[in-house]
Amino acid sequence: MDGAFRKIDIDAFDEDVLQESELYEADSRDPAQVLEEVKARQTSVRSYLAKNDVPGALTAILENAPYGPNVEDAKTISLQTLLTILNSTKSTEIPNVLKALSMDSQDTLMKYLYKGMAMSGWADSNASVLLSWHEKLTEIAGTGCIVRTMTDRRTV
Amino acid sequence: MPEVFTISQTPVTAHAFNGDRSQVAVSLNSNDAQILTRSGSEWTSNELLSEHDKTITSIDWAPNSNQIVTASQDRNAYVWQQTPDPVTGKTIWKPTLVLLRINRAATHVRWSPKEDKFAVASGARAIAICSFDPENNWWVSKLLKKPIRSTVLTVEWHPNNVLLAAGSADMKARVFSAYIKEIDERPAATVWGSKLPFNTICAEFASAAGGWVHGVGFSPSGDVLAFASHDSSISIAYPGGPVHTIRIPTLPLVTLTWTSEDMIIAAGHDCQPMVFNGSDAGWQEIGTLDDGSHAGPKAGPSTVGRLKTGAFATFRAADSRGQSDLGTADTKLTTIHQNTITSIRPYEGAAGQVTKVSTTGVDGKLVIWDTASISALTGRMGAMSMN
Amino acid sequence: MSNVLRPYLAAVRSTLTAALTLENFSSQVVERHNKPEVEAAGSKEVLLNPLIISRNENERVLIEPSINSIRLSIKIKQADEIERILCHKFTRFMMQRAESFIVLRRKPVPGYDISFLITNTHSETMLKHKIVDFIIQFMEEVDREISEMKLSLNARARIVAESYLTAIST
Repeated sequence: MDGAFRKIDIDAFDEDVLQESELYEADSRDPAQVLEEVKARQTSVRSYLAKNDVPGALTAILENAPYGPNVEDAKTISLQTLLTILNSTKSTEIPNVLKALSMDSQDTLMKYLYKGMAMSGWADSNASVLLSWHEKLTEIAGTGCIVRTMTDRRTV
Repeated sequence: MPEVFTISQTPVTAHAFNGDRSQVAVSLNSNDAQILTRSGSEWTSNELLSEHDKTITSIDWAPNSNQIVTASQDRNAYVWQQTPDPVTGKTIWKPTLVLLRINRAATHVRWSPKEDKFAVASGARAIAICSFDPENNWWVSKLLKKPIRSTVLTVEWHPNNVLLAAGSADMKARVFSAYIKEIDERPAATVWGSKLPFNTICAEFASAAGGWVHGVGFSPSGDVLAFASHDSSISIAYPGGPVHTIRIPTLPLVTLTWTSEDMIIAAGHDCQPMVFNGSDAGWQEIGTLDDGSHAGPKAGPSTVGRLKTGAFATFRAADSRGQSDLGTADTKLTTIHQNTITSIRPYEGAAGQVTKVSTTGVDGKLVIWDTASISALTGRMGAMSMN
Repeated sequence: MSNVLRPYLAAVRSTLTAALTLENFSSQVVERHNKPEVEAAGSKEVLLNPLIISRNENERVLIEPSINSIRLSIKIKQADEIERILCHKFTRFMMQRAESFIVLRRKPVPGYDISFLITNTHSETMLKHKIVDFIIQFMEEVDREISEMKLSLNARARIVAESYLTAIST
């Protein structure tokens, strides 16, 4: 006897059920355009870093960060660029850099820190940097910042 | 000085005072509601309202008509009225059934300002607006359904007895019209709209970072809506005008009340009531009602930078010497409430000039706060991580 | 190595504190039921983004928050075969006695060694910050426990080998 029908998730067919896509406003930008923007930002981050302007570099990469589906490439590039910034900052400078950021940027940075830790294969080289940034950011932006990383469906 | 009463060791899920504040109806995370009477500095239980067969989620006491309404996860609500017992002649609380017509838990209930209707929020993605049907001697309901997509967590009435604000788990705060033509007079036009048939959506707001809307409230004039959502933010929305969102550095707020046209007191998982002040030009957090002076001997002088002295020292000891004193340290919070505050309500003063508010929480405490004694917040990590 | 432990545990602590913002929430899928939404996963809107905190490739913590429950899964350090066996036996021992640990889950989430399920009932009956302390203390001690067991296992193996081989050599 075929019991496959027992495994059907009938609740998924309830028309009242909220879908993943309805939980947040989709990014209006085209995926290709997002990728272009991110690449352009990568260059501007390099020029900021050359001038030793870490807050400027962070703001550049954290503003209008790509989110939502279909922009995986852009997300990965953003994360890589961000990691170069984080790795090149002295640990004594971190608190001042974080204080210079806007609340939006702080929230987005927290999302990237968690994303960096979640990437498999990346953790070995970056974990200690990410953890020390996480600690400093939590001290400055508070636990509310972590709560917003959890609630915000616009995942980076 | 805030008045602190320890009601029970279990969470207090809801509380509602009567008109003259001599009695309070509470539910202690159980199927029954209790009526406590104040005797000196204590509250003694003298009546048990048991009819529900699942946890009671919310209670409201109509101050003028002296009726209590309770809502529960068993999908029912009851209206309790004082009547003489036909046998003994004693005055007892007698339940009246409400025909809610919802098929999931009732989550929140509030009497309308005129006390002729009440709204029941529910997990059935609907709000039941209930009014009395004298012919059958029961309460009948009309459902607000569209466009709610998830459990409604909270409701609050507009002072004009017609508009209703609701916050739900689909991350939206909405303003509905709950106009019932048999009862209500035609309402005057407000900033929320002029033609208001039942189930009109007057406004819909959401916080940028999402999050379930736990608490809503109209300002005393009814022209402004505030809502607290789970992304640790409180938003103050002016219809057609700006929406000010304050992101707080601590854990999410779950309940709020307006004390005057320019002042909101909100509380939640951070265990202390926070005060917000502002106008249509902008809002900011101005402090807390809990000055932390009630904490045990351990806290006290080292409140500033508690992070460094508490958690930091613990971890450094664990890290460098392999010691752990986590088990032995006294980790009483520095706030009066030791766990989440789930309900905050005006206690004293007319609408618009509230001088005292009452709070209850998961720690079983009932606290009455003076709204004038505001002290600055210390520490940005919030009370929870300070130990 | 050990200097990464402190920020790692601090990150787990702050994330767990942020996640432990639970409330009583009755199921909106099944009538008159009240179950941990993170396990039932019946409605997407009451689940939050899961977060991972990693110390390195082999040690990480997954925190899955929802409106009335959170699931916390730990991947414990296993450097070699002996540690792997010890870790498996140790976690198995505890998970078979899950009811005495109250917040312990009987089965770990795939990819992790041990999981905890904390519901709103737990955060109501116990102090929230004590639950956090418990998890942190557990994480500190499980590593120590396993390395101690490994040491005593090696020591015992040495004694057994010595006494056995002494008998042959004479």
